[in-house]
Amino acid sequence: MTDTLAQTTDTAAPGTSGPRLRSRPRGGNRPVRSILKHALLILCALVMLYPVLWMIVSSLRPEDVIFRDPSLILRDLEAGNYAEGWNAFANPFSHFLINSGIVVLGAIIGNLIACSMAAYAFARLEFSGKRLWFAIMLLTIMLPIHVIIVPQYVLFSQFGWVNTFLPLIVPKFLATDAFFVFLMVQFIRGIPIELDEAARIDGAGHPRIYFQVILPLMVPALATTAIFTFIWTWNDFFSQLIYLTDPDLYTVPLALRAFVDAQAGTNWGAALAMSVLSLLPIFLAFLFGQKFLLRGIATTGGK
Amino acid sequence: MERRLIFRGLGASAVALPGLAACGTGGGADVELSDEDVTLRMTWWGSDLRHGLTQEAIEAFQKEHPNITVKTEFKDWTGYWDALATTTAANDSPDVIQMDEQYLASYGERGTLLDLADAEEYLDTSKIDESLMDSGKVGGTQYAVPIGAGVLTLVANADLFAQYGVELPDDSAWTWEDYAALAAELTEKSGGAISGSGVTGGFDHGSVRYWARQNGSDLFTEGGDVALDPALLVEQWEFFLGLMESGAVESAAAMVESINGGVDSGNIATGKVAMGNAYNTMISALRNASGADLRLLRPPLKEGGDEGLYFKPSMYWSISSQSEHPAEAALLIDFLVNSEAAADILKTERGIPANTAIRERVSADLEEGDQLALDYMNSIEPGPVSPVTPNGGSNVDPMIQRYAQEVYFGEREPAEAAEAFVAELQGEIDAAK
Amino acid sequence: MSATSELRGLRGRGATAKKENKAAFWFLLPWFLGLLAVTLGPMAASLALSFTDYNLLQNAEFTGLDNFTRMWGDQRLHSSLGVTFTYVFVSVPLQLAMALGLALLLDRGLRGLALYRSAFYLPSLLGASVAIAILWRTVFGTDGLFNQGLGLIGIEGRGWISEPETALGTLITLNVWTFGSPMVIFLAGLRQIPRMYYEAANVDGASKWRQFRSVTLPLLTPIIFFNLVLQIIHAFQSFTQAYIVSGGTGGPADSTLFYTLYLYQRGFGNFDMGYASAMAWLLLLIIGAFTAVNFWASKYWVFYND
Repeated sequence: MTDTLAQTTDTAAPGTSGPRLRSRPRGGNRPVRSILKHALLILCALVMLYPVLWMIVSSLRPEDVIFRDPSLILRDLEAGNYAEGWNAFANPFSHFLINSGIVVLGAIIGNLIACSMAAYAFARLEFSGKRLWFAIMLLTIMLPIHVIIVPQYVLFSQFGWVNTFLPLIVPKFLATDAFFVFLMVQFIRGIPIELDEAARIDGAGHPRIYFQVILPLMVPALATTAIFTFIWTWNDFFSQLIYLTDPDLYTVPLALRAFVDAQAGTNWGAALAMSVLSLLPIFLAFLFGQKFLLRGIATTGGK
Repeated sequence: MERRLIFRGLGASAVALPGLAACGTGGGADVELSDEDVTLRMTWWGSDLRHGLTQEAIEAFQKEHPNITVKTEFKDWTGYWDALATTTAANDSPDVIQMDEQYLASYGERGTLLDLADAEEYLDTSKIDESLMDSGKVGGTQYAVPIGAGVLTLVANADLFAQYGVELPDDSAWTWEDYAALAAELTEKSGGAISGSGVTGGFDHGSVRYWARQNGSDLFTEGGDVALDPALLVEQWEFFLGLMESGAVESAAAMVESINGGVDSGNIATGKVAMGNAYNTMISALRNASGADLRLLRPPLKEGGDEGLYFKPSMYWSISSQSEHPAEAALLIDFLVNSEAAADILKTERGIPANTAIRERVSADLEEGDQLALDYMNSIEPGPVSPVTPNGGSNVDPMIQRYAQEVYFGEREPAEAAEAFVAELQGEIDAAK
Repeated sequence: MSATSELRGLRGRGATAKKENKAAFWFLLPWFLGLLAVTLGPMAASLALSFTDYNLLQNAEFTGLDNFTRMWGDQRLHSSLGVTFTYVFVSVPLQLAMALGLALLLDRGLRGLALYRSAFYLPSLLGASVAIAILWRTVFGTDGLFNQGLGLIGIEGRGWISEPETALGTLITLNVWTFGSPMVIFLAGLRQIPRMYYEAANVDGASKWRQFRSVTLPLLTPIIFFNLVLQIIHAFQSFTQAYIVSGGTGGPADSTLFYTLYLYQRGFGNFDMGYASAMAWLLLLIIGAFTAVNFWASKYWVFYND
């Protein structure tokens, strides 16, 4: 399969894009440029990361030092913040991590299935009112959640879904995250249509083209969707606040906020420690997820 | 414009769902104890410390009442009000609600809270400080039981006073002029390392109320309108503008930073000012955050003025009018505010208890910060309780803060801003009538 | 370079192409269900509520166009529009330029790319974390890092977050700092460009710059377009960062009062959900107009393969 695809791409590509290129001698001082690049990147990375590093260091500091020391030097280690934060509530913090994990997993699966299906239709199929439907889809992400949440709460409470994870997961299976549909539409439209047509000549119907041609070629878009769904759901506060009322169902963002009390004082040491801890899963997800960003047509067509 | 009722609740508008928020007093069930198993929902805002203690108290309650199960919901301050409004709108609000003075009328007057007179059989309020009890009334109806109380105070950092060789003031009879001179002296002796004082007035309802009350006025009238004479606000703003200019108090930017920093990283906690305002109940948190020897001073007096201080309820318990089990909800509140078992667990975490008997009981064994707060409270002769924030005024704090910032940053003339503030506040109240 | 019409894909491959309504229906079924069951109802409800006086706690009362006429005289609404437009027009181009630049740098050809990518992406992971507030104060407060850095080169700092003139600037910086999301999308887009185009260019001996101009940029336009549309929508709806950094007030002195923050204050703070709904629909009109213009303009510069 891959072979035919690659060949099709080869023959099809020059005609569609037709980049006409002039010759020019290549630059010769590669090592110097590479070192410069690294130096620049490291410098930028430090600037970018300083605040994050500060947060990590501060999570190891005693409470009364946190707000007075913007440096990264750790003078007195206070690892107790982590134990304190972990056990701050009736449930250990792992409980909230697991809850968040369940919501995130459901949301990712839902988004991957439902959004890619909708995107296939918008990118590859001809149907009545396509542009209108597409516009409607975009419109649904233009209203701020704050005016939607009350009627939506009414709706879900009629379903008896309040205080369950369902309001946070089921909509994802119904492709309500139009953002990702649009993202996938853009990616699918970057896949040469000739690949579909070759498959169609082989007798493939739409389900097969979707599964065997488009999905394998849009792994980067799927990976992007999965990573973003992970991060946004993991960090989403407002809808989780509204729909999850039982502390046993609390997710990480709710638990983190529960540390904060502007009047009676916040245990910032513990709050920061748990913030750092809750960053870990998404950081790991990205670290491992990014290798899937590198797949797709670039690797399949590059032989 | 002729207004007519079109929606039997929001749901009917579009999705043809049964009505909601169609509630009035007593819209829930009869106030009678049930023989069957009852599940109550209870909600509050606060920090992890409060969550733990309250949970413990609830377990004690459930042991006494085996047929009642209490499900708890705790949130942070802003999330709390968003969630409460949403659930109430969907006719799905928790049974027992922690309430704040600024929201009491907004919820009470709109019929979402139970008239506690209907539940007096199960909820004894006889031990609650009478003047505080009155502050749980809106339009003569008792919607809430005060839990604890606080008093406005001026916090002084004794360490900084000592460091710069300045005597702590005699706060029994000091005036705003004394305060200004002291702040200037502190700034000067520190060589500008600190500000003598934070901005201690004009940017929150507490300090504006205090200033108004000293001048025989108040922020709101009993009838629920704005009572504040704009001229008084102008006077307060100009007083602090003068001090800012002279360097006696911190800059407007430092003030904003301090407000955003809250108790933990505000100007008092970080030791950038030698004096700042607060409520006495915050002293433990402030001492923890600053690590300094902080003292509670009576805020300055106006020469020949009235008593400005009063006991402000720090928070209340209310029962939702949507509750199906108001009697059990009343029992729970009764347990929380009256029982010694609960008091031994909760102590002063929600403020100095409003129940005088309980206050005595917990005062026997207090931590240092709480002891300071209680001593301070006992040392003052409070004036009458201020009328509660009326319906529509729940946003008074962000509003006054916004105007104060415009004035203190010199973007707006005090006189014009004060007029505009009073007009906007009254406008919000009128719109809610 | 022949720029293919953006509309071609959505309009169809000529009038003769036969409709695939049935297949489309099945592929779109989940979305249709979601639209009907989850999305449309609440949207319609908010539209209906925008013509009412609705305080959340009592029944809504029909007030016709009152909410919309009130907007004309609402100074805070106007200033929040000003803040939001400034934010959109400054932070979106900056963020996208930053994201594209780094995506190109981090695409391939260097050691340790995975690490760099993660490092640049890390700030975006913080999202709406409560830690953002204290983090940003630590950087841009009076005693913050930024001022310490300025002090090293002899410039006196100020309270960047706490002064009205500069507060919005710090939020724009915060947004640019979290450029990770568009960067990742760019990276994925770069990966989708078939290698053989570069190989062909290499054979021709084209310079790096020439390759970028003639291969990378045109083939990346659908993704650039996507990022542009979405970042504009997001920027107009920007809420969380201002909410967290200013403690929900939009201060100092309304200098960071984003439109949605004001909408939220009206709806939940002032129990004025009718007005907030009306504001939301005005925002929808504004965003919709921007998006429509974007789509219209895209046919002049976006290139598709289909």
